[in-house]
Amino acid sequence: MRFKRVFGLLCAASISFVLAGAASAQDKTVKIGAVFPLSGNAASAGIHAKAAIETAMDIINNAHPELGNFPLAKNAGLAGLGGAKVEVVFADNQGSPATGQNQALRLITEEKVVALTGAYQSGITLTASAIAEKYGIPFVNGESTAANLTERGFKWFFRTTPIASDFAKVYFDFLTDMKAAGAKTDTIALVHDTTEYGTSVASVITSAFKEKGMAIAEDISYVVNATDVQSQVLQLKEKKPDVVIMVAYTSDAILYSKTMQALDYKPPMIIADDSGYSDPSFIKSVGKITQGVFNRSSWSVGPPGSPTAIIADMYKKRSGDEMDDTAGRQMQAFFVLCDAIDRAGSTDPAKIQAALKAIDLKPDQLMMGYKGIKFDEKGQNTLASGVIIQLQDGEHYVSVWPKATAEKAPIMPFKGW
Amino acid sequence: MSSILVQVVVGGLLLGAVYALFSSGLTLIWGMMNIVNFAHGDFVMLGMYVAFVIWKLFGSGPLLGAPAAALVLATLGIVVYFGLIRSIMKGPMLAQILGTFGLALLLRYAVFWWFGANFLSLPEDIVGGTFDLFGIRIEASRLLAGLVALIVTGALHVLLTRTTLGSKMLAVAEDSAAAQLMGIRPDTMQAIAWAIAAGVTGIAGALIATFFYVVPTVGETLAIVAFVTVSLGGFGSVPGALVAGLLIGVIESLSAYWIGAVYKDIVVYALFLGFLWFRPQGLMGKS
Amino acid sequence: MRRLLWPSVALALAIAYPLLFSTPFQQRLGALVLLYAIAASAWNIVGGYAGQVSVGHVVFFGCGAYAAMGAYSHFALSPLVGIPAGIAASVAIAAVIGVPTLRLSGHYFSMATIAVAELVRLIVSDTDYLGGGVGLSGPTVPRNVFDLSFISALPYYYLFLTVLVLTLGITWWMADSRMGFYLRAIRDSERAARSLGAPASRIKLYAFMLSAGLTSVSGTLYAAMFGFVDPESGLGILISVKMLIMAALGGAGLLFGPLVGAAILVPLEEISNNLLGGNGAGLTFIVYGAIIVLIARFQPGGILTLLMRLSAKPGKTPDISSAAGAPHAP
Repeated sequence: MRFKRVFGLLCAASISFVLAGAASAQDKTVKIGAVFPLSGNAASAGIHAKAAIETAMDIINNAHPELGNFPLAKNAGLAGLGGAKVEVVFADNQGSPATGQNQALRLITEEKVVALTGAYQSGITLTASAIAEKYGIPFVNGESTAANLTERGFKWFFRTTPIASDFAKVYFDFLTDMKAAGAKTDTIALVHDTTEYGTSVASVITSAFKEKGMAIAEDISYVVNATDVQSQVLQLKEKKPDVVIMVAYTSDAILYSKTMQALDYKPPMIIADDSGYSDPSFIKSVGKITQGVFNRSSWSVGPPGSPTAIIADMYKKRSGDEMDDTAGRQMQAFFVLCDAIDRAGSTDPAKIQAALKAIDLKPDQLMMGYKGIKFDEKGQNTLASGVIIQLQDGEHYVSVWPKATAEKAPIMPFKGW
Repeated sequence: MSSILVQVVVGGLLLGAVYALFSSGLTLIWGMMNIVNFAHGDFVMLGMYVAFVIWKLFGSGPLLGAPAAALVLATLGIVVYFGLIRSIMKGPMLAQILGTFGLALLLRYAVFWWFGANFLSLPEDIVGGTFDLFGIRIEASRLLAGLVALIVTGALHVLLTRTTLGSKMLAVAEDSAAAQLMGIRPDTMQAIAWAIAAGVTGIAGALIATFFYVVPTVGETLAIVAFVTVSLGGFGSVPGALVAGLLIGVIESLSAYWIGAVYKDIVVYALFLGFLWFRPQGLMGKS
Repeated sequence: MRRLLWPSVALALAIAYPLLFSTPFQQRLGALVLLYAIAASAWNIVGGYAGQVSVGHVVFFGCGAYAAMGAYSHFALSPLVGIPAGIAASVAIAAVIGVPTLRLSGHYFSMATIAVAELVRLIVSDTDYLGGGVGLSGPTVPRNVFDLSFISALPYYYLFLTVLVLTLGITWWMADSRMGFYLRAIRDSERAARSLGAPASRIKLYAFMLSAGLTSVSGTLYAAMFGFVDPESGLGILISVKMLIMAALGGAGLLFGPLVGAAILVPLEEISNNLLGGNGAGLTFIVYGAIIVLIARFQPGGILTLLMRLSAKPGKTPDISSAAGAPHAP
């Protein structure tokens, strides 16, 4: 009897030894799940996100001394885990909150990812991160801006991107500076769609401006993916606001630019809220007739040879498109997540969570123009911020505000075509 | 009337003509075969991509793009008819929705696979930019689309009411067994109908591409408008689709201007439902 | 007794499924099949049995989903409250829109229901109380079991299975009653049914209201499982189309048609997405679309009619005349 038991123990030990050996070999790669819209209406954003994360993987997994002190670049793999490589499993949320959650579950339980990132649309980030919360897996989001995401009391959800209240502050400060410089900013029109993104950004801007005594004179809302926007443009043409703030996805942004040109309407100043106006296909399609549009962004290419310029170049080689703010924010979130894993020195979700809570990155450790990365108790990055960029030549955005970091001075009025 | 209001109405009419243009193919199939083509929006989308490819390859606008799109789509129409429609017509109405919905996904994502998901666009001056007419801004591209809508509607109407081919097609639509007894081959007639309908839809796509963006999912945006236009006009009525398209265009523009853009579709759907209450067969449909 | 054989086998298999396929994803997949089968079976009452092809059923699905999330967001109640609330709202809405739209025949009815659905979606997108474009979410951290917020898919699975059995039971009872007889008569020829004294308008309306109430339950269950609803995911036309194609693919107008359709389409959709979705080339939908096209092309009456034909003894014609897809029996 005893012999049998000893033999059993021996067997068990040898099996666990083999398993442990296998496990330590597996530790050489760190699996991360990425849920993005790779089909459906938002597919173009999702596919850019995929290219951005693949670029980041290249930077992390291979030695890139040319990036200088950029975190995780210098040596191959994650130093904190003995040079372990990062592997990303991509999943398509198909633009559906249900699919997003199903895929998050699959990545956690079948692919055994140690952390998640995604999922672009706020509604899908909401459902996908709910599953991560239940399983106790860190979820780092870089681009969804709905305010309620960090108001749920989640312990495993972290967000690096600035949100609507941050944008509103940027717009207000920018307009105040422009007014001081002599631009007319008395009447403001706000054009936005009725999606979660459009309504939430618009309502935050409206209330933030109101608080500071600046009223929105004209609020024009429309249904996303419009077949026609002539009436909206004519309303603007009639009301002649000094400033038009556009909150629009790519489809509508393209249509607005085309229609403004066709109806010969040039407001003195257009400020776009990132999104559609940052999409490289927007610039390719209608950049030439939207010259001088201001845009909110946290991304700036920087001088040649700088880490950001090199990253932008790598990204362009991979995706075929110019780097834009949305892809940049996603990439930054992924870097933050990998940085936390590296610091944790472990793939244990709880240790990654602790590392994320403790993270304190400085601006020179980031590719985006944030003031840093430091999460509050809700998981929101308190140092997220944005700058104002301008499409001066119709092909490339340059940063024009704040003055301290601006590449060029803002040009007024809106040139159009 | 203020000049802005005139501009709104003119814009609405031109928009409506475009709605009519991309609905005429749908109404033809609907009337001829009592088939609702859920892939219609994606046929329009294919027409737009053909126009884009023609512009990329030869730098030419709809003068070459529209005929090319008509040719490509007409061929596709025949293939779809013989490959799919002919069999599902024997089944229940649900099979048509099932089959054409699957076809829609197939076409949309085949294009997605080939061209990617990026938004594409033709240069805005490809048909000659924009001109002023008594202070009203008119886009040449939209005007061209509007004119073609009128021509296509007229041509289809003449085809169906004044030509032997048209009467043969209508005979098949009316009673395919009886038509067969009279020596008309229903298969041939229906294949021709599919070719014409798809070809016209291709032309519509090629013309819309001159002032709209091009993306694989664009068909979804346009399909519902086409459905409403066709039902409002009366299934199978080509002139009905024209009137309905113009009506919807003007109502959309005016309600967007007066009440607010966010309400324009609500107004259109509500009026459409109210109208069906009084006239269930549409504007010019047979009861 | 013979006709109870296959349903019992199916039920036994359904009860055993999560034990045989026990990974979280497989269990969730099973739950999803049941969830969509509930919705498609509910649709089947009016779309299959009565032959009124509604493309607006998402309105009722949305009622259930919004009732569940609204009960939680506004009154801190369990999403389960959405079941009675959603049913009440759906039946009322069905009565209001059914009276005018059910007069319309064939495609006009389909188009009118699409317009209703879009109208509701647009109005909800602009209604702050219902969350507008942002949508409503459910309990993030479950307070008790009635919040229906579980990690495992097992509770959902058996809950959905119970509801599905009830739905199918109601459908079976209805189909076997006088009402079912009238509905089939109306589907085959409304004029003939009327001339034989069937109160066609009233019967169609009853079927519409019954179908709406059951569809609403599926919406509530959906929202409880995913914890979120917004205008696109709760009221988008695609959901109506999904109910329709599942019923059509399995066999509309057959009791088990929608279940068969869901059991084919849901795994097809999820698994093709698992395997192909990550590469971002749209291959998922090429495969999915192609398979739907092939089924429509070669089996326009639905998969179940094929199974019935195959399982019928040679030399004996199977009774498929009750299928909407089969050539109509005189």
